[in-house]
Parts: sequence; C-alpha cells; structure tokens
Amino acid sequence: MATKQRGGVDVRRKKKRNIDVKAIVDLGADYSDDDDDDDAPEEVTFEKAKADAVRSMRNALDTIKRDKELLKEKRRKRQELFQQQKKRKLLSEDTLEEIELAYTKKGKTLDSEEQEKEESEEDEESEDEEEVVNARLKESYKAVRLKDQIDANARQESASDFIKSRLYGPGTNRTTTNHMLSLKNKTGMNKTAAVQFVDKKWGSEKKGEAEKFKKRWINNQNMVAK
Amino acid sequence: MGEFKVHRVRFFDYMPSGIRCMAFNRKADRLALARLNGSVEIFNFSNNYFQEKVIPGSDSRSIEAICWVGCDRLFTAGLNGEVVEYDLERLCPKYTLDAFGGPIWTAACNSAETHFAFGCEDGSVKLFEILPDKIQFERNLDRQKGRILSLSWHKSGTLIAAGSLDVIRVFDVKSGHSVQRILVDRGPAGTRNKDCVVWNVAFLSDYTIVSGDSAGKVQLWDANKGTLIKTHLVSKWDVLSLSVSENEDSIVAGTSEGTVIQFQLLSPTIGDAETQWIRTRTFKHHTHDVRAVTETKTSVVSGGLDTQLVICPLMDKVEVKSSESVLRKVIFPHRSLVSCAKKPSLLLFQFPDQLELWRLGGTDTVGKPGESLPVTRKPEKLLQLKRKGDDHICCSTISECGHWIAYSTVSSIRLYQIQCDNNNISISKVSKLPKVLRSAHQLQFSADSSKLFVASEQATIHVISLSRSECKHVHTFKPKSGSSAPVHLLAASADGQWLTSANRHCEINVYNLKKLKHHCMVPVYNSLPSAMAIHPETNNLLMAHADQQVFEFSIVDKQYTDWSRKLQKEGLHRCRSKWHTPITHITFNPSAPSQVMLHDTHMFCIIDQSLPLVDLKAQFYSRLTPKDMSETDRPSKNNAFKMCKKYQPLLHVNLLEDDWLVVVERPLIDIHSQLPAPVRQKKFGT
Repeated sequence: MATKQRGGVDVRRKKKRNIDVKAIVDLGADYSDDDDDDDAPEEVTFEKAKADAVRSMRNALDTIKRDKELLKEKRRKRQELFQQQKKRKLLSEDTLEEIELAYTKKGKTLDSEEQEKEESEEDEESEDEEEVVNARLKESYKAVRLKDQIDANARQESASDFIKSRLYGPGTNRTTTNHMLSLKNKTGMNKTAAVQFVDKKWGSEKKGEAEKFKKRWINNQNMVAK
Repeated sequence: MGEFKVHRVRFFDYMPSGIRCMAFNRKADRLALARLNGSVEIFNFSNNYFQEKVIPGSDSRSIEAICWVGCDRLFTAGLNGEVVEYDLERLCPKYTLDAFGGPIWTAACNSAETHFAFGCEDGSVKLFEILPDKIQFERNLDRQKGRILSLSWHKSGTLIAAGSLDVIRVFDVKSGHSVQRILVDRGPAGTRNKDCVVWNVAFLSDYTIVSGDSAGKVQLWDANKGTLIKTHLVSKWDVLSLSVSENEDSIVAGTSEGTVIQFQLLSPTIGDAETQWIRTRTFKHHTHDVRAVTETKTSVVSGGLDTQLVICPLMDKVEVKSSESVLRKVIFPHRSLVSCAKKPSLLLFQFPDQLELWRLGGTDTVGKPGESLPVTRKPEKLLQLKRKGDDHICCSTISECGHWIAYSTVSSIRLYQIQCDNNNISISKVSKLPKVLRSAHQLQFSADSSKLFVASEQATIHVISLSRSECKHVHTFKPKSGSSAPVHLLAASADGQWLTSANRHCEINVYNLKKLKHHCMVPVYNSLPSAMAIHPETNNLLMAHADQQVFEFSIVDKQYTDWSRKLQKEGLHRCRSKWHTPITHITFNPSAPSQVMLHDTHMFCIIDQSLPLVDLKAQFYSRLTPKDMSETDRPSKNNAFKMCKKYQPLLHVNLLEDDWLVVVERPLIDIHSQLPAPVRQKKFGT
C-alpha cells in the first residue's frame, strides 16, 4: 500500500513503471484479496488507459503489416519460381540464336536467288515464318482438332443408339430367334426336332446346364439309394 | 462316270449382312443395294437379275440412304455425316463430302435431278447442287427442332415433305420456310407414351403425302390443308419402308414383321371415276424387319434384316411367262468366296474382315455308295489372317501348290508366302510389291504358281512373277477395245500359255502369255459371263453366262467348237431352264479329262464331252447303285449330263485327285440362327 504512489512519477518511465506497478498491484491484489475484500478498486488513470489502447492498436497494426509483408514475400518467391521453370522449359538462348541465324541465312539465300525485287521487311519476315512453319510440320502429319473428332463420333453413337432403341429397345416386343424357329417348326408341314437338337453349336449353355443337372440328379439318386 | 468320294464341308461360317436401303434406276434397269456393313451391290435386272458389281464396305462407312442420279452416278449418305459418290468403273468411292449437319438420316433427289436434299440429325434439311463431276452445298432450309428422318420432293421440285418425330413438315424450297406442319397422332392406346417416328414420307403429285410411322400406320395427308385423309393400320410394329411406283398408282410398304403390303389406287365400285387408295396385297416372304422396298414395272423388290433380296412378281403386270414371272430370292453372292489348292487339300475362305485357311480332314475307311464315312483326321484351321485397315476384302486367292496367298481391298494388295510342314505353319508377308499394284478387282495365280495375275482398274491386267526373293512386274495387258469396265473373272491355262479375262461389258479377252500380247476376243454375247475355265488338255475356254448358257471356245482356232454348236442346237435337259442362280464355278476332272463340272447354288452337274447329249424330253434316272446294276438294267442311252441336288445350298464344289469331291455347303438354318431378334408374334395354337 505504501508503494501505490501516483503523483510525481516520471512520464517516460510511466509505462514500464505502470507495468511493474500493475504487476505488483496485481500481486498485491492477490495478497490483498486474502486480507481485505472491501478495498477500493484500483485507480486506472486516463493516460494509462489511453496508453494501453494505443499500444494494443499499434500491436495489431504491426501484426497486420508483418502478415502483409510475409504474403508479399511468398508471392514474390512463387513468381520467381515460375519464371525459372519457364526459362528451363524454353530452349536455351544459344540454341535459339543458332536457329535464328540458320533461318535468316536461308531467307537470305532465297532472296539472292530470286531476281532482286524490292520486298519489304514484313514480307521477308512472313516468308521466314512460313518456311519455319513448313519445316516444323513434316509431310506425313496433319493437324486435326481432337475435340471435333470426338464430337462427331459421339453424335454418330447417339444416332445409332436412337435407332437401336427404337427397333430393339424396351417396348418393342422382340423375341429370340429360337422362339421364331420353334414357331416355324410347330406351324410347318413337317414337324421336325427343335434347332438345338439338330444344330450342334446351338444352345451350348443350355446343354451345359442340362448336363450338370443330370449329374446332380444321378448323384442324388445314388445317395437316396444308399 | 460320276462316282466320287465327297468331302462335305460345313465349317465355312459365311454370314451375309442385312439390307439397309435400295434404289432402282429405271433407265438402266439396275438396282443398287446398300447393306449394313457398308457394301453396295448392283444388280442388273435385265440380265437375269445378275449381281453385276459389288463395292466392298468399310468399317468407317455407314449407309442410311442411297440414290441414283442419271444413269450411272450413285450417291450414299450415312450416319458418319458424309456423302459418298461411287466410281462404278473402279468400284470404289470417288470422293466423300462432309455435310456438317451431324449424322445424315435420309437423302432424296428431285425429279429434275438438279438438287439433292439431305435430312440431318440436327434438324436441318441441306440442299446440295448436283454438278457434272461433284456436288456442292447450296443452302440450308429452316432448321427444325427434331431430327429429320425422311424426305420426299414433290414432282415439281418446289415443295419438300420432311418426316420427324411426331410431326411432318412441308418446306417451300425457294424460301426455305416451313409452310405446313402436320401433327402425326401417336396411335392406339399402347403406344401413346412413345414418340411416333415418321420413318418414311412420299409426296405424290396431287399434293398428297403418304407417311409410314412407328405405330404401324400408313396415313394419307392433304399437304395443302394439313389434314388427314385416310389412316390404314397395317401392323402392330413399325412401318419401316415405303415406296411409290413410277406412275403413282401403287404404294408398297414394308413392316417390322416381315410383311410387304401393297396399296393401289382403285375405284371401290366398278365404273366409278373416283379412286381411293385401297389395301390390296400382302406378301410375307421375310422373317425379319423389311427395311427397304421398291417397285419396278412388274415386281416388288424387298430386302431386310434377314439378308435376302426377294423379287416378287406382280402377276397382273406380267404379260409373258418368262423369267420375270418367278419369285426369286437372292441369298448368296453370285461369285465364289472359296478358293481351293488341290494338291495339299487346302481351302481358303474369304470373309469381309479376314481370310481363313483350312486343311481338309480325311478318312481311312472305305464304304459303299451312299454311306457316310467316319472322319479319322479332323479338318483343321491352319490360319486366320485379319486384314489391315478399315476397308473390307474384295477378292482373294490361293495358289495351286498352296504356298502363296493374295488378297486385295480397295486401297491395297497383300501377298503372303506360306510354309506348311506337317504341323507347323509359317507365314511371311511379301513386303515389296511392284508400285503399279494398288488395288485389284480379281486375283489369280498361274497353274505352276510362278506368276500372279492382277486385274486392276481400267481393265488392265498386271503379270507379276513370283519367287522366294522378290516379285517383279513383268507385263501389263490392256484390252483391245479400250473399255474400262472392271474385270470380274480371270482364268489361266494349265500349260501357262493363255490367260483370259471377262469384264462387265460382257467382253472376254484372250492373252498370249508366251508372246505377251493380246491374242483374240471372244464374240460378245449379251449376257454377263458368270464363270470361266480353260480345259487343261485341249485349251478350250468354257464359259457360263448369267442366263444359264454354256459355250466352248477354242483358243487356238479362234472359234466356237463343234461341241459348243451342238450344245446350242440341242440344248441341255429341260431341268436346266428352271435354275435361277447363276453358275459360279467350272472345273475339270483331273482323272477324266473329258468331264466338265459346273455348279450353282442348288446343284452341281457333270457334263461328259465325249458322250452324246441327252434328248430334251428324256427321263432322268437316279443312279443310286450303278455298280450293282447289271448291264441290261442300265439305261440304254449313255447321257452326257448328270446332275446332283443332294447338297444344297452350295458355295463351292471342286474336284480333287483320286475321285475326291469337295462340297462347301452353307445350311440356311445356320444363317437364320445368327440373325438379330425378330418381333414376337402370337400364333394361335402354339
């Protein structure tokens, strides 16, 4: 209690003092709580409060600034990384120079072979470009947009699906060839055996199932007999 | 004579493709047929309905509509969005044009033959102008919402009727706008929830529109007012095809059930001037969907998914009892798809996408005539050769010794060398073929397997010499008459001196291989030759034509032989005149050189040139046990002509050594069992 001295304290040292004081005060408050409950609340002066507020704002501003700077740094680093990657992808400058030289030489020789016409630089450049393009695309390749081709196939597929669904889809009342042939047999003049008995390749799954059933049945009979 | 041991071969899985659309050219009397695998066949109706030309299909091509322009220009359009014009001399597509409207469903040409209209998936009707050497896009008519599935021009060329889903529109060609919109009702109660697809429309000259739709109705509409005149409920399933006759007095409709129905413009009471469309005839010649019908002057031609082309005569139009008045079914192609190498007993089967090489089986037992012997060595499939690329194989052949195989598509020719030890078979492709070979219409090896004859475009024949190391182009033969019709038959003599070729203009040229020049030309007979062979000993050329006539021409003397003249005067037995399928192969018996064997789809016969020809009206005896019959019981006259109808339907018959006969059959039931699903029909009592 004796240490609570407000007046006469230097303003410069105020903050720290106040912190220390506050700490001591807090400590003191702890101790004091044990002693007295009905002590008067601590006095917080206007300047102190203002200083606190200012401090906290400044802290906040600082953190924001720091964050911004960090972000900026990150972005810069990323940009640099991309540029490096791009550089790596492109040919090295040396080879580019060589190629350029080669093509300009070609262009020059052509010019010299032709009769000396006064061609503008733009024409020459366009010629070079054309030759460059022609040289790049070899004769056996042709540039085709994949997207167009895929579209065309998809449309053809959908058209054939339409016709299949109209002729064989649900609701069209179709039956099997077996049914048709057996109808022919039943309504014909000479009634012969069904196709699956005449044609050996016919109905192979059904024949397989019949065989299995026969085996199982015989087995059962044997078991029963025993 | 006439006793053989028979290899009965049924393992050729030949499967024809269903018919999608057809167009009849009245001026040229030819029918163009398009199948589901993209191939186009042309039948010459005046030449005994012979299959004149076959343009092989392609995997990338699909055909939905076919149309003739003029006498000799053929166009097709398909689901890949392309319009193809065909070169009928080189038997390949001339050019393809993309219509840029998506898949094309239908095509129609106007009566003046100046413009083409295509109905596309995106709902637009595109007009193309027909120029002498190509077609060119002109403009689009107004684009509609649904896909256009059928089109028909009015006779005047000013209106087009287009059928779509649930609606028929009438377009005015000049302005491109839709002037009439007709709503098609969806049909009886069961089909109300599905759209009604108008599969076909036909525009008559009195402004009546006839439509066939998926509810099984054939309806007549008034195009000016947009109202319904008459409905005929024809079937429970779709009406897939419709055709109007030339003078517009008869309409033919084909359904999914396989029935073909005819409507005629008649007056209901005799003497009444007012006429109506009345349903008259129903034909049921098909088992599966009928997707194409057309009408000629005297018959109704129909084809569908059961792969048969049926030509049914209309008896009220037929005036003379001739070959026109008979129901014809064209099931098998009119040329041979099987080649045989006699010495090693090998058979080469040609499919559109592959070749199969089989070795015949054998038996060690001996039996009596009429018995079937057990097979001790099973026939084995030695090789399956798949083609490269999209185009289908158009011709193939194997050499007599069995060491060379060649096949051709429209874009390339390939030659393979085969080594066959007892159990191992090795095949190697001959890579460097002479550059002059690009595609072939017919291939043939010489009898000693040292040369390959390639019949190329413009009726030229290239002679290529074969050897283990390389193949050299030796010579090119050109026909003297300068015709460019495609060559469809080649025959080489056994001694390697003569080569004959037959082309589609009915010309048969004979070339001398030793001197490498044209020798002579056989006098032109009006009918197309369907089979040709040179006798191994006498070097006489035997020719069979599409109208069932057989001639013999002596190459050395450059004239018809006496036997041939006698045959023409007396004729063969009257049974011959009943045959409808052309003779596809002529061969000779190695053990008896005077015996000639011919076969068509339903029979094979042997003609012995040394014996007298049988009288036209004589009775045919069946000779079951000739060896048992005593001398007195045998018929007193020895006929030259013997026929066997036991093995049907035949694809190929050939004579091997030691009195063995190879018979390649294709039972119809095997084809029927692999067809797509038919409609379910309820029959009383089953």
